[in-house]
Amino acid sequence: MEKKQNSLIKTAIVGIVIVISPLLSGCITSNESVTLRTTGATFPQYQIQKWIDIYQQSHPDIKIEYEGGGSGHGQEAFLQGLTQVGRTDPPVKEDTWNKLLNTGDQPLQFPEIVGAVVVAFNLPGINELKLSREILVDIFMGYIEYWDNESIEQLNPEANLPHEKIKVIHRSDSSGTTAIFTTYLSLISEKWANRVGAGKTVDWPVDKMGRGLAGKGNPGVVTILKQTEGSICYTELSFVIEENLKIASIENKNGKFIKPVTETIQSAVSQVSSFIPDPTEGYKEDVKQLLDAPGDNTYPIVAFSHLLVWQNKDGKHYSPEEAKAIKGFLTWILTEGQKKENIAPGYVALPSEVAQIGLNAVNTIQS
Amino acid sequence: MPLFPFFLRYFRRKKNEDTLHFKNIKRIDTLKVITSPAIIFVLLLFVWMLTVYFYNALPAFIREGLEVYFRNTWQAAEEASKEYYGLAAPIWGTIYTSIIAILIALPISIADSVFVVDYAPKKVKNFFIIISDMMAGLPTIIYGIWGAFVLVPFLQKYVMMPLYKHLSFIPIFSSPPITGYSYFSAGILLGIMVTPFASAIIREAYQMVPFTYREATLSLGLTRYEATKILLGYIKPAIFSGAILAFGRAVGETVAVSLVIGNTFNLSIGLFAPGYTISSLIANQFGNAFIYKHMLPALYAGGLALFIIGLIVNVVGLYLLKRWQKNVEI
Amino acid sequence: MSRYKTRKGKEVVFLVAMAILTFVGILPLFHIIVTVFTEGLPVIAERGFTFLTGTLSNGGIGPAIAGTFILMFLSSLIGLPVALLVGIYAYEYPNSLIGRWTKTLLQIMLEFPTILVGVFVMNIVAIPMGTYSGFAGAFALAVILMPYVAVYTQEAMRQIPFTYREASFGLGLSRIKIISRILVPLSKRGILTGVLIGMAKVAGETAPLLFTVGGLYQSYPTSITKPIGAIPLLIYTLIQSPSNADHAMAWGASLVLLLIFLLIFIPVRASLKEVRL
Repeated sequence: MEKKQNSLIKTAIVGIVIVISPLLSGCITSNESVTLRTTGATFPQYQIQKWIDIYQQSHPDIKIEYEGGGSGHGQEAFLQGLTQVGRTDPPVKEDTWNKLLNTGDQPLQFPEIVGAVVVAFNLPGINELKLSREILVDIFMGYIEYWDNESIEQLNPEANLPHEKIKVIHRSDSSGTTAIFTTYLSLISEKWANRVGAGKTVDWPVDKMGRGLAGKGNPGVVTILKQTEGSICYTELSFVIEENLKIASIENKNGKFIKPVTETIQSAVSQVSSFIPDPTEGYKEDVKQLLDAPGDNTYPIVAFSHLLVWQNKDGKHYSPEEAKAIKGFLTWILTEGQKKENIAPGYVALPSEVAQIGLNAVNTIQS
Repeated sequence: MPLFPFFLRYFRRKKNEDTLHFKNIKRIDTLKVITSPAIIFVLLLFVWMLTVYFYNALPAFIREGLEVYFRNTWQAAEEASKEYYGLAAPIWGTIYTSIIAILIALPISIADSVFVVDYAPKKVKNFFIIISDMMAGLPTIIYGIWGAFVLVPFLQKYVMMPLYKHLSFIPIFSSPPITGYSYFSAGILLGIMVTPFASAIIREAYQMVPFTYREATLSLGLTRYEATKILLGYIKPAIFSGAILAFGRAVGETVAVSLVIGNTFNLSIGLFAPGYTISSLIANQFGNAFIYKHMLPALYAGGLALFIIGLIVNVVGLYLLKRWQKNVEI
Repeated sequence: MSRYKTRKGKEVVFLVAMAILTFVGILPLFHIIVTVFTEGLPVIAERGFTFLTGTLSNGGIGPAIAGTFILMFLSSLIGLPVALLVGIYAYEYPNSLIGRWTKTLLQIMLEFPTILVGVFVMNIVAIPMGTYSGFAGAFALAVILMPYVAVYTQEAMRQIPFTYREASFGLGLSRIKIISRILVPLSKRGILTGVLIGMAKVAGETAPLLFTVGGLYQSYPTSITKPIGAIPLLIYTLIQSPSNADHAMAWGASLVLLLIFLLIFIPVRASLKEVRL
């Protein structure tokens, strides 16, 4: 009996070794390819993944790892050198920028794509929902408790709103989407600005009423929304398209109720002449610039999403091969990537002069 | 390599002194020399870990004092002066979910132990022990995926909803089961996960009850219920330490819990409300804490609390268990 | 008589309650296994071999599987020698101060929140190295593996009848000879069991990897100083995605992980009466 058991264990070990060894040898003999890593904001997730898929097909020697984690994580991982290309929606703040400079290398920051933060809801049987500025703020403040609140009903007479509590879903991680959304709310409401404020994470009033829920990343938020009747959340447009969720029309600066679609987002970009600072001084950029833009057909919550990359002084962060691959990929994103066929649903390409600023920056990366 | 021979010489001289003054002659203990580095490494690693947590948590204590554990605010602001972090909600969530877990695990593991030891035929007995071991070893992420996709929807529909509907006047059932992600779901999942650990300890203890006791209960003509009650009374300390050790496990579990707890800074007695635990807070926020000025120390303070809860719970649990085992052996 | 009846009645209630509780206790495991198979098998069947070897964009989890095996192997490489020595020490000097400390410490480490190990290793390995790496992950896992193997080593050696020791001492052998030539070979099976249990544990751990390995799913790992993937970590990421395709992938990956676990667990269980995890 003992022998038999002994041999069983031996077989198991031999089995494991047999399984491991080809894998290990497979790794050693695999042909030389460069692996890049991009980490952070999930706001541009579908766009980045589309770019990665297309780019990898034409460049089989370059592998790009996508990692989420939110804008905050993107900035942190970039600072620690744990990722090569950081992604952040709101531009980096001066404090963090100084930390980046302290590494002795020059960080570069520039927009990669335009996206919109949308308000999605899960109310069976209801497809259209208009939200005025005041209602929007009051819902996220927790002042409006039930869906069949008078003010919502007045604005949406045709919708059969249930007497159900509104569950507000927000992000659990440090998020650029949150930063954009709360900056917008602070912009349109003094109440919000004073009580809650803007930032990548805020102290949500609804949490303490037991009606707040949090998900990790835009994916996490959308997952919860899908499972929760009577809930509302803010997220990036592409997730809503991808998951077939219902979107609210938001009152814009001119008092019109607008849904986010390509034209209404483009309208926001064209209404303001965007100020993009020099990529070596990225922190000077203002998140607010595309928010609450004028124009009848303008969706109000629109923002750039940014990339962070090192200039790689004296090869401080990248090996020559990596630097070359990064340059190639980023150049492609800012040229080919901005073409219509390579843009994922829910995003809008950069204005060409903005893309050019990014391109100039990419050209300064040393390899 | 001048260091090593010196080290040996030192050892030898010390030993010689020993032998001169006190004991009988002994050769130097090569085994000790070989194994000591490993021991020192492990002990140092542990101390190092404690130091890392304490040192990194220190700024939070300096800035906020012990309030970091007792306030329920989690305000991460871009301006450092506005930042404020209080861990009350995650600490409450950790303790609350672990208590639910114990309340579930304890009856099940006691029943399981009695059944396996007293009633099950040998084959069935083995089968049950295998099942229990498997549950203990199953990757926690598998509990996580099952919990998030199967258990939570089930509990929400068939347990939480009816309870809320009919018994919402009782405070613990008063919060609506909005999504199902809640203390309750996390507690149940944790209960399932820690049951095998409690089972293993209780079963072992129950097996150790001296045979004379069993004979005595039988000779009194007691029913099986009465006999079992008496025998369980005898192993009470072991049951208690089993519960404590299971509690320790529940406190530290991360991924499975973070998938079902809801992750909000909520501090509520309502079972069906979403909440946070320390470990899922670390899992969610540690990745972006560096960019804030004061968040990292707060998270380390949370880690330190977890560290210390774990330490106390385990030391107490193990101590009680050992003391009881000694009593039985005598 | 009626008193007897109530006593009997209580007994029946007790037996029924016990049976139900016992049954409820083991039910989840079966449900988990059945669900993982029914949800995971179609995914694997549909994609076939690609699922096991392909990269993420090809619809496979090959790099994650490779990563998990590499991490298992590396963490054993780091953790086993230390664990064996510590186990031997705890066996040989059970009553010395350090010996007692060591034994308590091992028990504590067995129960220790694994996320704390992950954060610690990120702090001392990943950040100084400036990159996530397979090494950092393996180091974290080694810290988790170590107490299992050490405790099993000590227990296995304690099971050997004391007469063997006496006899060996009687032959005038030194301690080191007794341990290495007599006691370790005799307790080989118990030690191996501990090793396999440690590896099973390590294969399924997620929390220690969260901040140490980074993840690598588009290409196979090439170096231990670079980021690497692992199945549990991949599942954790996929579950948090809203898309059903990702969920399907997570179930498939869970099935693979479950099979790896069973592959290790079954032989271990067959060789030993009781396993403590």
